[in-house]
Amino acid sequence: MKYDVVVVGAGPAGSVTARFAAEQGAKVLIIERRKEIGVPVLCGEGVSRRIDNWGMLEGKRWIASNMEGARIYSPDGTMVKLSADLAGNETGYVIYRDIFDQELARQAAKAGAKIMMNTNAIGLLKDNNKITGVKAKQFDDELDIEADIVVAADGVESKVGQWAGINTRLDPKDLETCCQYTLTNIDCKDAYCDFYLGKKIAPGGYVWVFPKGKDVANVGIGVLANLSEAGMPKKLLDNFIANDPRLKNGNPIRFLAGAVPVAKPVETVRDNLLLVGDAARQVDPITGGGLTHCLEGGKIAGETIGMAVEKQQFDQETLSVYETGWKEAFGKKLKRNYMVKEIVLGFEDKTLNMLADSLKDFKFEEISTLALVKALVLKHPTLLMKLRPLMKISSEV
Amino acid sequence: MGKPKAKVDRDKCLACGGCISVCPQDALFMIGGRALVTDEKCISCAICIRTCPIGAISGEVCF
Repeated sequence: MKYDVVVVGAGPAGSVTARFAAEQGAKVLIIERRKEIGVPVLCGEGVSRRIDNWGMLEGKRWIASNMEGARIYSPDGTMVKLSADLAGNETGYVIYRDIFDQELARQAAKAGAKIMMNTNAIGLLKDNNKITGVKAKQFDDELDIEADIVVAADGVESKVGQWAGINTRLDPKDLETCCQYTLTNIDCKDAYCDFYLGKKIAPGGYVWVFPKGKDVANVGIGVLANLSEAGMPKKLLDNFIANDPRLKNGNPIRFLAGAVPVAKPVETVRDNLLLVGDAARQVDPITGGGLTHCLEGGKIAGETIGMAVEKQQFDQETLSVYETGWKEAFGKKLKRNYMVKEIVLGFEDKTLNMLADSLKDFKFEEISTLALVKALVLKHPTLLMKLRPLMKISSEV
Repeated sequence: MGKPKAKVDRDKCLACGGCISVCPQDALFMIGGRALVTDEKCISCAICIRTCPIGAISGEVCF
């Protein structure tokens, strides 16, 4: 069997890439190792309202709840409230990721992509170093799937890129190691996403509470892997829940683990190969959010593939339209936010407390860099020194 | 007696893939919805053990 494109992984990035490639007339196969798309969920399930901009998801079944805003708590508990307009960039909806992924896969299938489940990619097919497809295993059968383009949409632990010679190995300082309960029997009547910061709460990360309904929420933690120890995220999360009056009487209906790349972007194009989504490290290093990039980047990838198939040219130069496109669309933001992450990680809890104290009464409706800096520095002049590197980045990028 | 090799408790593993992404030897892979260590590749660095959010990986001495 010969395809124009074989996509490894039916997560959001893989399905969206497949959909747009198929819509452009490419013959597309998606292989997925799991037995149900989107299951198990490995996600905090918060997503930007910008997801509406692309109109890729039909219906509302994938939406659990609409968020009115976000609250950020500094280590000493000082709260900074962000309105929907501002917070909506990161936390607009809390979703059902399994339904979300299945809806995107359905759209890919509707566009003409074929999906094979229970199918593990085990290597690349090569002819004199030229990638000619994917070697896969479905139950006991080994399959050679020939394709002009291979799309690596195989997530945080991506192997496909490695097989093609792209170093996608993550330094532990560039990985958030996470776990999350879905807790029920708790009080979430105000629809705010909550974030809790602090070295004792979540070293190099944060605890989140994302309401999915009036009495149910995702309560999770991310810890930077180089600051973690075996099992530390789960212990810290259990401790957080036990000491939070709102959460301590909750009961879990789901427990999951997660791994979020918070790295610099990698090379995403080789002859006959593209990397998308988490495999391409297309995740915001500050928030750990990646879903919007999967949609935006996947569309660019799919359209690039359509163009390449039309021209019957599959070399790196032809496919680099994708890399140029996604870097323009959101790569610059990721690069900048990686630098911000590195600086903020160096902040002591005391600095975060001062920041929150300066910002707690700030009216974010009138946001401008100057007003923000004024608000920060008027109350805590020593913040000026701490924030200087950040201001440098925002003026440069 | 060699150094302890990483071993994934397959009853605990929740398939997040974090251990696989940080392994400097590409010694881990996902099979049947669980991570698995290739003993021959493991160099006992323990990075995966420290990375696992739920403590599903431990060191086990191989003979």
